[in-house]
Amino acid sequence: MNEQSKTLDIMRRIGVPRPEKIRITGILQSPVLASLTLLLPGGNSDSSASVLELMGANEINIRFINKYKDSAGNTSLCLCIDADLLDRALSVLDTNEASLGIRDFMYHPQVKVISIYPHKERPRVTERLLTTLRMQGIDPLSTNNASSVISCVVNSDHVEQALASLADAFEMP
Amino acid sequence: MGSAETLEIFPLKIQRNLTQLSFLRIPTRPGATRPLFDLLERHGILVRFVLEGCAGDYNRDLVICIDSEAFARLEPELKEVNTRMQAQALELRQPVAVIRILGPHFDIRPGTSGLLFGALDRAGITVFSNATTITSSMCVIPDDQVEAAERTIGRTFEVPKKKQKGVSSKQ
Repeated sequence: MNEQSKTLDIMRRIGVPRPEKIRITGILQSPVLASLTLLLPGGNSDSSASVLELMGANEINIRFINKYKDSAGNTSLCLCIDADLLDRALSVLDTNEASLGIRDFMYHPQVKVISIYPHKERPRVTERLLTTLRMQGIDPLSTNNASSVISCVVNSDHVEQALASLADAFEMP
Repeated sequence: MGSAETLEIFPLKIQRNLTQLSFLRIPTRPGATRPLFDLLERHGILVRFVLEGCAGDYNRDLVICIDSEAFARLEPELKEVNTRMQAQALELRQPVAVIRILGPHFDIRPGTSGLLFGALDRAGITVFSNATTITSSMCVIPDDQVEAAERTIGRTFEVPKKKQKGVSSKQ
């Protein structure tokens, strides 16, 4: 049992006070996508631009990107693409693995991006989103904000459960 | 992918003089990041940029950007917050800026993000972090590279000119 499971178990046993609902306008979900997470060599100039250019050259559409430097100084690049293009994307990455310097990569063939709007840069919206999902045992693969929405990538199997729990945690018109 | 000249975007939104905080390898559990977001909420501080990713072994990385002025107010309390979150490292970058590119439909046009990233890379712009969803892409860059990034994006996409104060657009 990992730490998250133990925490969840304790919280379920003792009960958790229900915080006041946060008013939002709506929750969106994307079509089914595939996610790819690449670990690239760090540095001020990394190969993420080359990865994205290669995807574009192969007509692979990218609907979600998360890029940042991890604790080891590597660049973590998470992409979501149309699910039916996963094989093509894997082939492109396999072919160019050495030139891109890919240190590691993993993928999830069936995910969806769930977005809450408006975010309005409010800290409590992000916190409520993350905690609500984790209380359900759902760990978002990736989360980010982009202007008015905050979005997270969730395994397709968990989307219905995620949407139900978010509808309970947020107040919508 | 067609010519970039056909891709029109909204005027750039640029937020400057920010601090990027990277909380690295936070053990995954419900409420793990609550101490930080509660602190921000208590001080009325807006999160200009937020991103979370998998760090392996049931750990998460959390990257946020806030105004540097707000960071100065929070700094005395951050060490305790970091301890409560059990993050293994906290890295700071400042000053940084967030540039929002809105409108080129990253979600329906293959190659748009490659066009943006490629142009920034060739211009020597460092992108510390990026969050792209639907029609919007947010890049965290060094504050002193904002003007160069603006010029680069202006050459890559069609960006409407900002109206000058006191100058009517009507003929």
